[in-house]
Amino acid sequence: MTEPGTSGVSGLYRGVWKGAPLLLLGVVAALPHVYSGAYFIRLLFVTLVWLTTSVAWNILGGFAGQVSFGFAVFYGLGAYTTALLLNSGMNRASCLLLGACVAAFASLLIGLPTFRLKGPYFAIATIGVSEAVRVVMTNLPFTGGASGYRIIEKGAFHQLLHFYFALGLAGVAVIVSMLVQRSKFGLALVAIHEDEEAAADLGVNPFRAKLLAHALGAALTGMAGGVYAGYAAFIYPGGVFAFDISVHILLMPIIGGVGTVWGPVIGSVVNGAVHEELVASFPQLHLLLYGSLLILIILFEPGGVLGLLGKASRVLARARSAGGSHS
Amino acid sequence: MTAVDFANLLIAALMLAGVYAAMSVGMTIIYGVMKIVNLAHAGFLMLGAYFVYELHERMGLDPLLGVVLAFPVFFFLGAGIHWLLVRRIPASDQPTLASLLLLFGLWLVLQNLGYLIWHNEDRAILTARTFSTLQIGPITFSTVRLTVFGAAVASLAALEFVLHKTWHGRAVRALMQNREAGRLVGINTERTARWAFGVGVAFTGAAGGLLAMLYSFSPSFGAPFLLRAFVVIVLGGLESFSGVAIGALILALAETFSILVIPAGYQPAIAFSLLVVALVALPDGVAGLWNKRQHWA
Repeated sequence: MTEPGTSGVSGLYRGVWKGAPLLLLGVVAALPHVYSGAYFIRLLFVTLVWLTTSVAWNILGGFAGQVSFGFAVFYGLGAYTTALLLNSGMNRASCLLLGACVAAFASLLIGLPTFRLKGPYFAIATIGVSEAVRVVMTNLPFTGGASGYRIIEKGAFHQLLHFYFALGLAGVAVIVSMLVQRSKFGLALVAIHEDEEAAADLGVNPFRAKLLAHALGAALTGMAGGVYAGYAAFIYPGGVFAFDISVHILLMPIIGGVGTVWGPVIGSVVNGAVHEELVASFPQLHLLLYGSLLILIILFEPGGVLGLLGKASRVLARARSAGGSHS
Repeated sequence: MTAVDFANLLIAALMLAGVYAAMSVGMTIIYGVMKIVNLAHAGFLMLGAYFVYELHERMGLDPLLGVVLAFPVFFFLGAGIHWLLVRRIPASDQPTLASLLLLFGLWLVLQNLGYLIWHNEDRAILTARTFSTLQIGPITFSTVRLTVFGAAVASLAALEFVLHKTWHGRAVRALMQNREAGRLVGINTERTARWAFGVGVAFTGAAGGLLAMLYSFSPSFGAPFLLRAFVVIVLGGLESFSGVAIGALILALAETFSILVIPAGYQPAIAFSLLVVALVALPDGVAGLWNKRQHWA
């Protein structure tokens, strides 16, 4: 910094900006050591699990614009695969990976017929798939049905271990999302979002790209379900396959800012904070709030919280330049 | 299975079909005129159920009368919602995700307002009709099902009359066939859309009242019926009223007779699977199969 100049300052600024995600990761990793209450760590853990699903959904729903109401299927499959394998004595990491594989495989089975449908019809079909899977899973003997399925913990319970699993997974999800956004594949997804036929004319195979985005999202969501199941140690089909899960996974990225890397992250943090504040006192109020937010976002600010922040910063910048004082 | 059992099942299916048709027709009107998939359908069904329930509980009004009263009340509710929210999203000849998500948000709001007002317990409307039966020859009819079926058919007939004999009804049918041509001959599309949204919601609210006579309900009431309504209108080809009748009949037959082959626990999955199959395999509905063969013949 021997030559102070605008380029140097902006270069520094950019460097800080690039380092920000790592810094964020470090801060979150250190948080449990600052405030070590079990309740607080649980809140962080749950928020990180939601964050992973939110970022995962955004790969298909945000970048490619294919809104799915069916991500609970992958969450539930990941949770059950992990739970069943954990009880058979497999180590945690391989359980999670296999859960991801099962979820990704399911996403192909679902995607092959439903991606022939365009936009809203795909969205409706995923509601049907999701509800059908929930009904079938509730009736299958190995899921424990309505009375649920318990994981027998072999060792002592370490809350922090679960927390770092969730943090690692959330980090992976954000990195995958960044890589997708910067890759040619990400561009193809955005092109499909804008105009599927035009994208196809330019040599993108929309069907294959959508399947791949679906599988990526499903694998991450399946792992999130697995991490959650390992923590909760008790799951039931009506919980992990619930339509409510799909709804939350869909709302977080839309509220935060759909089609961006950081929008879903913001959405899930908002969700974590609001959820914990409201659910304790008024369990129904938070969905009422989300519904109203969704309506407002659709009508006035499709960019969500991130779009709103961008608008605010532009207004601020304009106000500052209108002030004209530049030394 | 004896012939009497078979006849009983067939009649049960037919009555169910009447209810399904009445429940889905509101969604068809809204889709047909605006190309909007009404995800808030379930919310209006739920509100209709509670509307009839409250009138019955507080004023001792016969549920059937409540259903009749639901028509005007829900018409204004629907028209108001169109004016407040729906008209603000850009009109399109294709269903858009914005409209889907807007109405989904509305559903969340309605459902959770329901929870705030009526809480989580299940309610039911019980009248003298609920448990009485009618015996005709070897076949037993449930009085309440017969009543509901009659009301459903009557309301469908009334709709048919309105759509064919009134100015607004004709405008609605014109817009369903061709939006641009409708505008050219002087139809005010926004006002017609508001009217159609009102009528669609009116039918949905009234159908909610009818369903409340048959089933118990809570504020989450309606979600399974929302999906069934989709199945019905997709099987019916999305924007045809006779298609709705066909779709309702197919779904009711499938659900009723599946009891013979599929364990009862899996039964709800039938409608959902049928929805996916219908969307993927029959984009123009069952009538589409028929038309393809007969087209211009």
